[in-house]
Amino acid sequence: MGSSRRGTAFGGRLAAIVGMLALVLGGALVPSIAGARQAETTLTLWDTQVSGVALEVVEQLATEFEEAHPGVTVEHQGYPLEELQETLPRAMQSGEGPDVAQINNGENLMGPMVRAKQLVPLTDYDAEYGWTADLSEGLVARNRYSDDGATFGEGTLWGVSNTAEIVGFYYNRQIFEDNGVEVPTTFEELEAAMQTFKDAGVTPLVLGNLDAWQAIHLFGTVHATMTSREYLDGLIYRSGDQSWESDEIKAAATKLQEWVEKGYLLEGFDGLNADDAWPLFGAGEGAMLLQGSWQAGDVQSALGENGGFFPVPSAGDATVLHVGGVGIPYGITTAAEDPDLAAELVDFLVGDRAREVLLEKGQLPAGEIAADEIQEGTVSGDVYAAWNEALANDQLGHYMDWATPTMYDTITDQLQQLLAGEVTPDEFAAALQTDYADYLAGQ
Amino acid sequence: MQTTSPASSAGVIGEAGAAIAAPAGPARRGIAGSAWEPYLYLLPAALIFTLFVGVPVVGTVVFSLVHYNGIGALSSAEWAGIANYTDAFTDPKFWEAAWHNLILIPYYVVLPAVLGLIPAAMVQGMKLRGSAIFRVGLFLPYIMPGVLIGVVWRWLLNPVFGPVNDVLTRLGFDPPTWLGDFTWALPTVGVIGAWAAYGFCYVVFLAGMQKIPADLYEAARLDGASGWEEFRSVTIPGLRREIAVVVSVNLINALRAFDVIKATTDGGPGRQTEVVALYMINSAFGVNRVGYGAALAVLLAVITLVLSLLTLKLFGDGDD
Repeated sequence: MGSSRRGTAFGGRLAAIVGMLALVLGGALVPSIAGARQAETTLTLWDTQVSGVALEVVEQLATEFEEAHPGVTVEHQGYPLEELQETLPRAMQSGEGPDVAQINNGENLMGPMVRAKQLVPLTDYDAEYGWTADLSEGLVARNRYSDDGATFGEGTLWGVSNTAEIVGFYYNRQIFEDNGVEVPTTFEELEAAMQTFKDAGVTPLVLGNLDAWQAIHLFGTVHATMTSREYLDGLIYRSGDQSWESDEIKAAATKLQEWVEKGYLLEGFDGLNADDAWPLFGAGEGAMLLQGSWQAGDVQSALGENGGFFPVPSAGDATVLHVGGVGIPYGITTAAEDPDLAAELVDFLVGDRAREVLLEKGQLPAGEIAADEIQEGTVSGDVYAAWNEALANDQLGHYMDWATPTMYDTITDQLQQLLAGEVTPDEFAAALQTDYADYLAGQ
Repeated sequence: MQTTSPASSAGVIGEAGAAIAAPAGPARRGIAGSAWEPYLYLLPAALIFTLFVGVPVVGTVVFSLVHYNGIGALSSAEWAGIANYTDAFTDPKFWEAAWHNLILIPYYVVLPAVLGLIPAAMVQGMKLRGSAIFRVGLFLPYIMPGVLIGVVWRWLLNPVFGPVNDVLTRLGFDPPTWLGDFTWALPTVGVIGAWAAYGFCYVVFLAGMQKIPADLYEAARLDGASGWEEFRSVTIPGLRREIAVVVSVNLINALRAFDVIKATTDGGPGRQTEVVALYMINSAFGVNRVGYGAALAVLLAVITLVLSLLTLKLFGDGDD
């Protein structure tokens, strides 16, 4: 999982600085207000829910928590992911950190924060509340680090996710029908479908890559059909001697360039932000949209019954390792004065009630979805079915930018160059390997 | 009322009073009137300056001398000496970013100056109805936050539903995606920067022109000068100081370019529009190399200082 999952609002970093300033000023005021109320307790909650259905979910859960705990106020503050990632550590340092926050996995944030002793271990709370009971260990491992923060993927639990994520293709049923195209069941059929749309003058695939992160998902999705568990895990967990200069990375890169050349991507995709792209699809432009399950609620409300979702189909009989996993986990920081109360809030955010609310709103909760929750023929129903299947068959891969702390920067830069034909697939693979090797050498 | 002594300005009224009060003034009033008095008035400003400029500047210099990830306790920082600076000089990404700043200079400095000078020269001396509204309108982009300008232009230039490409396509052109195009992205953010600055240049030039004595124009006209000759030999020399101001302010803006680019391309596509300020922020907060980011900040500040001093020396007329 990486910083690529969601777009950032414009001026993310600039806003982070402004946010820090506001924090310093605001921080001076908050204690005096809280002091005036005396008996009241305030829990601050920072996460990445800034708009749409995802924001509705967290606000509803926070309100329900307040109702269940008289005298406790939850102050929710949503940030775009990149901004949260930059603001949280600074806020912790100046003693203004939140009680509960979403801590991005791996070396993005969780590792450094564990090493800086800014997180409260959750293993005991998990035993008490049973947060991870329904999740496979492979998914839980992404939220584990050894106590000294040196080893990733095992040891103490530092975060719990409430949502799951799978990247795939949203599609417009009407456009599919009008052009006599069925939902593709193989990668070859997917390409044939795109060619059919192209010939008919319909945009095959909507994508916006001006802000550079959606191409990570496009690349990951194509690569997902060409890779193996051994290679991908080895690469991302840095556990084997895998190299980015591999045939499969080059083949996926070649395929992307082929798609651009054939005109399968929305014309002008390189000048359009991702958050401007999906509303176009929602308005009926284009046959398919490549996006993650986090957009399910929004696509559903835009397209209604006209929308659907399918995960990338396999090429031949190869197993697909879908881009996805579980959502950014919630953790408790050492700024929490009452960690037990903070744990109760986490329970509200990731427990059974959260699951109910997520399902109600068409979002994808972590863990398997019960059959009676799946409504066929809806966007969310399709997403749930795809998730269940990927979960049952151990078909979840990774976000490619998760490999090193600088990989997001490198891969977004390189993908824009690749899609514009500025680099060859060989040069692309070599540049990613250079980033990777530099990081391993520094370890 | 006439007063004869400077001390009388402190409030003593009347000539006789002034004569008596003057010598006794400093002793009787304590600090008021003493050599310390001006510094007392400066104190509040100096405190604010120290707190919000002095301390951060010193802090940045200190940070530039350590390796620090910005997440752990400050005690986890390791002394780096000048390593961050030597890293910068051998870092191709830094040079690439600096090169982009250099390319932006004509767009940020020359283009807005010319775009501001032409309308200023045209309306000079005219009694234009509603000229105040005109001035305010042209000045508006200059006071708009850069992020807002970026968002507006990103919409204008949107290749799918933006008006610019819509018009160009209707006229039979095949426009690029501007901000997403490897060739066009940097010139495009340059032009946006010029658009943001030319109103400022216009207002400064217009004010300067109103200062030029009318008889100079009259003399030029008697000598049979054409409009162009008048512009070249009267207007331009008369605007020397204004040109110095415009060039140095715009130059500083070119070197510290950040907000518009952040809000439009965020340095992309690839690294096509990455400038030093963006690279600095990304180094410090994106990949958590706070020391390196601080070193880039110091370098950028020094380069800006040197170049703006050079500009003032070049254009200034030496009497200030």
